[in-house]
Amino acid sequence: MITLLKNGKLYDPAHNKNGVVDDIYISDGRIIAKPNQAEKINQTYDLTGKIVMAGAIDMHSHIGGGKVNIARMMLPEFQETKTYSEPEAHICTPNCSHNATPSTTDTGFRYIEMGYTAAFEPAILPINARQAHLEMGDTPMIDKGGYAMLGNDDYFLRLLSSKANQKAINDYVAWILAATQAIGIKVVNPGGISAFKFNQRRLDLDEHNVHYQVTPRDILKSLSTAVSELGIAKPLHVHCNNLGVAGNFQTTLDTMGASDGVPMHLTHIQFHSYGTEGDKKFSSAAAQIAEALNKNKHITADVGQILFGQTVTASGDSMMQHLNAKHANPKKSVIMDVECDAGCGVVPFKYKDKNYINALQWAIGLEIFLSTEDPWRIFLTTDHPNGAPFTSYPHLIRLLMDKSFRNEAFAKLNLDAQAMSNLTSLNREYSLYEIAIMTRAGAAKLIGLNNCGHLGIGAQADITVYTEQADYEKMFAKPDYVFKNGELVVQSGKVVKVVWGATHVTKPAFDIGVEKGLSEYFEKYHTIQCDNFKISGDEIAEDGRGKIVVHTHKPSKRSIN
Amino acid sequence: MMNANLKTNQCIATCPACGLLCDDVLLENKQNKLNVLNNNCAKSVAFFMQSLGKNLNETSPRIADKPATLQQAIMHAAKLLKQANKPVFTGLSTDVQGFRALYNLSQKTNANLSHMNATSMARNIKVLQSTGWQTTTLTEVKNRADVIVCIGSDIVSHHPRFFERFILKDGIFIGAKQREVIFIGESISKKHALEGVWILGCRTSDLADITTVLRALVTGKTLKATEIAGVKVSDLQLVADKLKNAKYAVLAWVAKDLDFPHAELTIQNITETVVTLNQTTRAAGLPLGGSDGDTSANNANTWLSGLALSDAHVEHDCMVWVNSFSVDKLPPKTDKPLIVLGNINSQLEQVPDVFIPIATPGLDCSGTLFRVDSSVVLPLQKVRENNLPTLSEIVSEIEKLL
Repeated sequence: MITLLKNGKLYDPAHNKNGVVDDIYISDGRIIAKPNQAEKINQTYDLTGKIVMAGAIDMHSHIGGGKVNIARMMLPEFQETKTYSEPEAHICTPNCSHNATPSTTDTGFRYIEMGYTAAFEPAILPINARQAHLEMGDTPMIDKGGYAMLGNDDYFLRLLSSKANQKAINDYVAWILAATQAIGIKVVNPGGISAFKFNQRRLDLDEHNVHYQVTPRDILKSLSTAVSELGIAKPLHVHCNNLGVAGNFQTTLDTMGASDGVPMHLTHIQFHSYGTEGDKKFSSAAAQIAEALNKNKHITADVGQILFGQTVTASGDSMMQHLNAKHANPKKSVIMDVECDAGCGVVPFKYKDKNYINALQWAIGLEIFLSTEDPWRIFLTTDHPNGAPFTSYPHLIRLLMDKSFRNEAFAKLNLDAQAMSNLTSLNREYSLYEIAIMTRAGAAKLIGLNNCGHLGIGAQADITVYTEQADYEKMFAKPDYVFKNGELVVQSGKVVKVVWGATHVTKPAFDIGVEKGLSEYFEKYHTIQCDNFKISGDEIAEDGRGKIVVHTHKPSKRSIN
Repeated sequence: MMNANLKTNQCIATCPACGLLCDDVLLENKQNKLNVLNNNCAKSVAFFMQSLGKNLNETSPRIADKPATLQQAIMHAAKLLKQANKPVFTGLSTDVQGFRALYNLSQKTNANLSHMNATSMARNIKVLQSTGWQTTTLTEVKNRADVIVCIGSDIVSHHPRFFERFILKDGIFIGAKQREVIFIGESISKKHALEGVWILGCRTSDLADITTVLRALVTGKTLKATEIAGVKVSDLQLVADKLKNAKYAVLAWVAKDLDFPHAELTIQNITETVVTLNQTTRAAGLPLGGSDGDTSANNANTWLSGLALSDAHVEHDCMVWVNSFSVDKLPPKTDKPLIVLGNINSQLEQVPDVFIPIATPGLDCSGTLFRVDSSVVLPLQKVRENNLPTLSEIVSEIEKLL
């Protein structure tokens, strides 16, 4: 069976197609070359005048696992239907569930309705990975995957502190990827979550964790090297130390240099771009951060834009979330130490445009977007739900594409914050092509999804079709069509067919001998068997709904002998 | 690794008999009869050694106490559900897979979901939804906890191996002998055999007052009273000082044992004491006691619906009682049609309209359960031969007929 998408205007940055009018042929869930005359076209969609992009990919969104579920459990009030007024109405789209803590079904539906066909959970605690996969398994419509958190786990910190060689680290990292069915490695507040358990309250880049006597810099170097040498496509995903602290931009700048040129991705960089200037000792350091991003080609970043309204922050960073808990709104929070493996902090937040700090956070995020030159190295995220629910993406896209819309919103902000931002002097308006890079081609390239994020032959036929409108928010909120693996699943912004996506993983080889040390460690110090830590592919593929797609990558040339 | 030394009729199994999910239990299977050889406790022995029915008749479903075929029983159950406008699915003692199936069926039949532990779970959920809390997990306890205060519970009645596995073992950052264990509660000494612990005896109903005083003392307040509910304030001051001087204090409770009105306020006293301690040192709460898949059902319900399981009592016109794990737990009394999907050994006082024996996860079929601390999720194995259908299979067959 062949489906023809005829005459669409293609925005396909992976193939340098910037509004080129062309046809797309689909068969068996893939994009195929133009078939010969004899082959029958079963179905044709006339897309004349329509905008066609690959399905969007959210490379950082908390869609599953312990902390998201704690947020749901703690905040039943989020599930109520409310009539939102300004400024919350800012972030709402016709499809918005008005919900920072959507159920798994809601998550899948809201994503696909916006033309997103994949989302990646960025903070899978290895010990809690089974829960993350259970939740993602119940998330319909989209592909998914996740990054396993390391760098605060006792096993790794012992290896590092005992000066284990890089091969031992690499084997452990590869084992973790296989055991947790993840596609990348993340580090959150390197060493800091562990340090908090020893009652340290802050940890700077070159400060020692009191117990292990290693620094965040040591951790970043070791893990980024492992990721690179193992040939994992996704660079080490780094949530820097000192999240949310005034003056933390210096930590962020220093972190860029911590890997000696090995690729790293700095996530939700907006939360790490704060200076200490002005009367309130809180200022934008977006200019310094963007300049450093422009210069350091080995660094990529996603923004973690905040938008005004009620949301909840769910993070592995128990150290900084404990500090932030005093700002909780509503006034409640959950902070957890987890299994000598990681931590967790869930703190509800209400970002207000009349609040100096929140208004400036909003401006800082946009300043970073507009001042970072290469759209292949900056990604569109709200760190869902931490900066705002992912349902606010169409609004965010309009802010980036429409200067007058942006300046109108800016004019409503806290006046002191306006005085501290250069946002109105930034004239850039993102093009459709650049949006397609940030949300499709770039994200796929970053994660190593060779068959996603583009419209070339062989690509997974995840395709979104929009009608161009002056109001980009409306345009991106409600695609005309979304195809998932070649099937029409959304029409006029509404789901017409329920499908189940795949789970993307990577499994670099490791020396099986690594399990000897691990088994002994589990036996002695853990509270489960090493074998039960490992998640089998069958667990994810159970009941025929789920499917695993393994991405293979070549180890780098720097590889160990 | 351990499995390498096992005989062919032996295996290491995960035990779902309590919320600890000990996954080091050595089983031996002789002619399909299980024996727990090592790492056992009274609960795991009872669980793994339960029979597979006394005779063949018992493995067959029953309609109004008469043997029926599986197909007849499924059809009858579907018919009763079709006739109902507001069924209730209760018990809910199952694993994640079983709960997912029940959740889907509840959506199709407009049913309410109510776990057998709903009342005690709600005590914790109320605190979570009011102020939140700071908690920890079992591996952290094992490796870090230096002062452990158990409030209102001996713990072992719920988790026989809790102290053996997590407190009497050397941890990474603390030796077993360096730990201090304090109990505050009623007739604790009769129920556990731990040596060298400090027991502050009091009535369960006085825990509200005692935890209020402890919280005040930890906050640094001084009290004029010298005694509260029979406990010396100076003793509670000593507990407060130990907590403040601890490197990693753990305050444990079991919501089920705090069975008095507004027990959530007592739990909140405990969790807010933890919050205060964390201003200067490290401390954590540890809610224990989960059983019968309650943690699994609550988590799955939360991600599937967006909301935690409710403890609301609702009207019903048909009851489905699901009970995989605890054969002695009885369904609530009802004068409406009763469908039982349960363990083959289910004890029932009321003759159900339909009884379909189902496979027990971790015994008769594989499965997945959440541990009591919610952070760890473990796979369960099938460890004996049987021809029992799984809950998901039965539920999906019923669903097809609706």
